[in-house]
Amino acid sequence: MNNPIVISPTSRQEGHAELVMEVDDEGIVTKGKYLSITPVRGLEKMVVGKSPETAPVLCQRICGVCPIPHTLAAAEAVDSSLGIDVPKNGRLLREATLAAHNINSAAIHQFLIAEDFVPENLFATAVDSVSKIRKTVQYVVDMVAGEGIHPSDVRIGGMARNISPLAKDKLTERINNLEPVLEEHVELIKNLVLEKGLPKDLGVVDVPILASDKHYGKNDWFDFDKFSEVLPEEWYDDPAIGKKACSVIPLWDGKNGETGPRARMDEFSGFKDKGVIAQHVARADEMIVNYNWLVDILDQIDTSAEVCADYNPTGTDKLGVGVIEGPRGTDVHMAQIKNGQIQYYSAIVPTTWNIPTMGPATEGFSHELGPHVIRAYDPCLSCATHVMVVDDDDKSVVKNEMVKI
Amino acid sequence: MVLGTYKEAIAARSTEKKIQDVSQDGGIVSSLFIHALEEKIIEGAVVAGNSDEKWKPEPVVAMTPEEIIEAAGTKYTMSPNVFAIKEAARQCGVEKLGTVATPCQVLGIRKMQTYPFSTRFISDKLKLVLGIFCMENFPIASLDTFADAKLDSSLGKTNKMDIGKGKFWIETDDGTKGVPLKETHGYEQAGCNICTDYVAEYADISTGSVGAPDGWSAVLLRTDDGDSLFKSAVDEGLIETKPITEVKPGLELLEKLAKGKKDKAKEEINNRVSLGLAVPNIY
Repeated sequence: MNNPIVISPTSRQEGHAELVMEVDDEGIVTKGKYLSITPVRGLEKMVVGKSPETAPVLCQRICGVCPIPHTLAAAEAVDSSLGIDVPKNGRLLREATLAAHNINSAAIHQFLIAEDFVPENLFATAVDSVSKIRKTVQYVVDMVAGEGIHPSDVRIGGMARNISPLAKDKLTERINNLEPVLEEHVELIKNLVLEKGLPKDLGVVDVPILASDKHYGKNDWFDFDKFSEVLPEEWYDDPAIGKKACSVIPLWDGKNGETGPRARMDEFSGFKDKGVIAQHVARADEMIVNYNWLVDILDQIDTSAEVCADYNPTGTDKLGVGVIEGPRGTDVHMAQIKNGQIQYYSAIVPTTWNIPTMGPATEGFSHELGPHVIRAYDPCLSCATHVMVVDDDDKSVVKNEMVKI
Repeated sequence: MVLGTYKEAIAARSTEKKIQDVSQDGGIVSSLFIHALEEKIIEGAVVAGNSDEKWKPEPVVAMTPEEIIEAAGTKYTMSPNVFAIKEAARQCGVEKLGTVATPCQVLGIRKMQTYPFSTRFISDKLKLVLGIFCMENFPIASLDTFADAKLDSSLGKTNKMDIGKGKFWIETDDGTKGVPLKETHGYEQAGCNICTDYVAEYADISTGSVGAPDGWSAVLLRTDDGDSLFKSAVDEGLIETKPITEVKPGLELLEKLAKGKKDKAKEEINNRVSLGLAVPNIY
């Protein structure tokens, strides 16, 4: 047997992960394993015993790349536990925040993969359009949610405040002006991905799709009867890898799945292609889907309407679930509130769903294409990790006790 | 220089009756904001508006001349205008922002602009900072004490407040009453005692009543932007001016008070240092 090829850490992604590929004599991957080696996030433990309003503030710090979905999922989970009905206009502002952020995050990913697909003579053009797009959509998040990175104005019960008529006009104008830039950018990226000539079946796996909604996320999608988690030692057939891996493996109907833009486009927009090329194309196409959604939301926003509900923060110990469709897939936060304090908090974040799927997706092609497969999922490990490394020398991790964090 | 850096000192007042009717002195702040709004130099301004509680100001993002006039007049307790700058730059959508601020607030704003930690895409929106002369500032409970315990009236009955001629004045339907300023000492905010800035030295334009005759304001034009805005308001006939040298009591009084504040603050700073207390850096 050949020595496995190990890429550690895998590059151009957030956080640290390892790709282990067993290969045959031709260098073709026969078995791929992808594991997180980013230490524990632990934020779910920090919010226990704190007021419900703490959850979106702390849990958005799970990640600086996609803080918006974590903020929204945390707020939704707490809203759900406290039985709050968010006013329509508050919900619209939350939707605008997510729509803009998802476009932004897709653009960041296209910047990260530019080296793979964009020829030198077009590099400046591609980076320029990524910058223009990001600047415009981040302006939306800034204005609506208070901060472009860690939004301060997503609150339990809705949003801190409504936007002014002047802000609505400016947002509408800038978003309208973005349309040709975005369309051109999406075409450019799609064409470059197709021109690269990657094998059509690269990264194709037959796993269930995980997507709750075309756009925002549906809290009632999450089904506790379908959800289960296993420890990495049970999942990976190599005990050394099982020991080193830092995240639990979430399963849906007992199987690992695929979440993200392609999964959403497959489930809700009739996009049926699979694999690396399809993931890049779907992510680019979804920018247009989210753009149209954003235009529609901005049109609906009533600048004089209520945006935050009054609520009683005491709680009944109901387990509230918040499901948000983030740029990398379905983000699930859960909160239980009683006596005005968070009793239990848990987050199952997008890349965690994809971790057990990414390894096998590298199989059947040259190991040199392995990193392409991983990057197509746009993994973000900072948020995905559950387990803590306790000894740097032997890389051993705390297991059962910490896995439940 | 006890008055900080300035290009020109002038006595001025608004020529518009609608502003004169509601302003504290010369109506300079209101006139300049309205002119800046109309000239599209700013899209909105954070001003000290009125809250549900009488005489307790609340920062308001004024985006029309009517809203500026609504907020006119000095409030003798702190309006945390800096707090509303973020809201103005974000949800209000104001990308060219003005604000009126006490000297300490101006200093905070300039620090925020120099080191924009946590104020990314906020502090760069500030285009016009109007500073007001300020010797000290009273918490609302102190004002209540002056009106109620010292002047046998109430804030509810008070129509106008003023400081001048050595007294803190309230004007009610029954007449005008004043507390000697000596009696107000100890009721100001503790921070005012170590503040060395009387004339908002870092503002674009500073203004206040001291140095000018009744109904007029003394104005210090400090920055290029402040200078050109003021002169364009004068050219439009919105503000009338007199050379500061031709009015009484003139700059001399302003310099005397500014120096007095600096000297007193330095004394208190030394006192606090000798007690081992923390004091701010003074630039």
